[in-house]
Amino acid sequence: MKNEPKSSSIPLAIIVTVLIVVIGGAYWFYNSSKPASRNSNRAANASNTAKTPQPVTSAPLGAQPPNMLGSANAAVTVEEFADFQCAACAAIHQTMKEIQSTYGPRIRFIFRNYPLSIPAHNKAYEAAVAVEAAGLQDRNKFWAMQDQLFTNQKLWTENPNYRQLWNEYAQKIGLDIDRFQSDMGAAAAKDRVDRDLQRGRGLNVDSTPTIFINGRPVQFQDVNTASIRRIIDAEIQSTAGRNQPQAAAGNSGNAPAAGNATEGSK
Amino acid sequence: MIREALGQQSVAKLPAAAAVVALAGLVDAMYLTVKHYTEEPVPCSIIEGCEMVLTSSYAEIAGVPLAALGAAAYFTAFSLALLAAFGNRFAWTLFGFQSIIMALVTAWLIYLQAAVIGAFCQFCLISAATSFALVILYLVSRFTRLK
Repeated sequence: MKNEPKSSSIPLAIIVTVLIVVIGGAYWFYNSSKPASRNSNRAANASNTAKTPQPVTSAPLGAQPPNMLGSANAAVTVEEFADFQCAACAAIHQTMKEIQSTYGPRIRFIFRNYPLSIPAHNKAYEAAVAVEAAGLQDRNKFWAMQDQLFTNQKLWTENPNYRQLWNEYAQKIGLDIDRFQSDMGAAAAKDRVDRDLQRGRGLNVDSTPTIFINGRPVQFQDVNTASIRRIIDAEIQSTAGRNQPQAAAGNSGNAPAAGNATEGSK
Repeated sequence: MIREALGQQSVAKLPAAAAVVALAGLVDAMYLTVKHYTEEPVPCSIIEGCEMVLTSSYAEIAGVPLAALGAAAYFTAFSLALLAAFGNRFAWTLFGFQSIIMALVTAWLIYLQAAVIGAFCQFCLISAATSFALVILYLVSRFTRLK
């Protein structure tokens, strides 16, 4: 540990080099990770569509009817498990809306409540109940309320009077406030949340957001618009290929009456 | 004289080792920082619960991701350790203070994961390991010097 003035420039040079490499590396990693828009073509070329994850064979059905958008007869089912206090779920919310509007009736999109039982998410279960309570008045109000809670997540999460904010959101989307409040305390909305939770546990969901496409869990690195679109496109193509000979034989395909093709069947 | 020379040699090696460990911590923290800003889920292959930890309210302090603060701390630790490896004693003393503070913060974060959040994040545990390694290296160097 002798002081050697001659060598003092060496560590400084190393420090500066490391700083440049780290900042440059982080910038590169950020650009290559920030997925969708920039690398969509490259991602589309990848042919490893949901190869590794295996479909789960059985799980409870979840809330019936499920909170569903798109067509009940669609060949591709996208099922999302989310928590209203999960920042990543709020971030992916716009992506899922984009997916819904891109594919419309070509997919069946199902939203499942999966409030995590952790202290940091102490309002998540109640939020899920609030959204289900909105849905009890009108199925469309479910989606409107879901949108409100994800869009304003930071606002109500940090507000001790979050229920007041929820009432304001409910009013904004045209709910009957008295009924909304009584539904929040009643068993029906809670029962739907509990059923979704049971289904999630049955599918081994351990974090949010977790997305299944035709029963196969989407891997973490694929939870972005480009990859989800790539997987859906591949599923649509493969289903179309399978259905052609079946259609000729008079096979009507999946029976969606239970409202959820992925439930235990894939 | 021989003992003194040996002591000097080992102390010089320990800061160099600490610089390498700090660099590993820096890479880990930078990875989590980038994932935080890209809002991508962090893969959790060894243990479960990364998402619970990284999306909890403890993942940020005043809007700044904890991982970014960790990256800054590791870069500072790396710089101090490197200066010390090249003979700057004062830098090693500063490194010692910093590594002790980092270890205390790390202990608190492990407590949060275990007792409050109820889930662990593997990348946070890697960071904890590097943080504890830094303070151990510093303490070993002090012990060596006393000899």
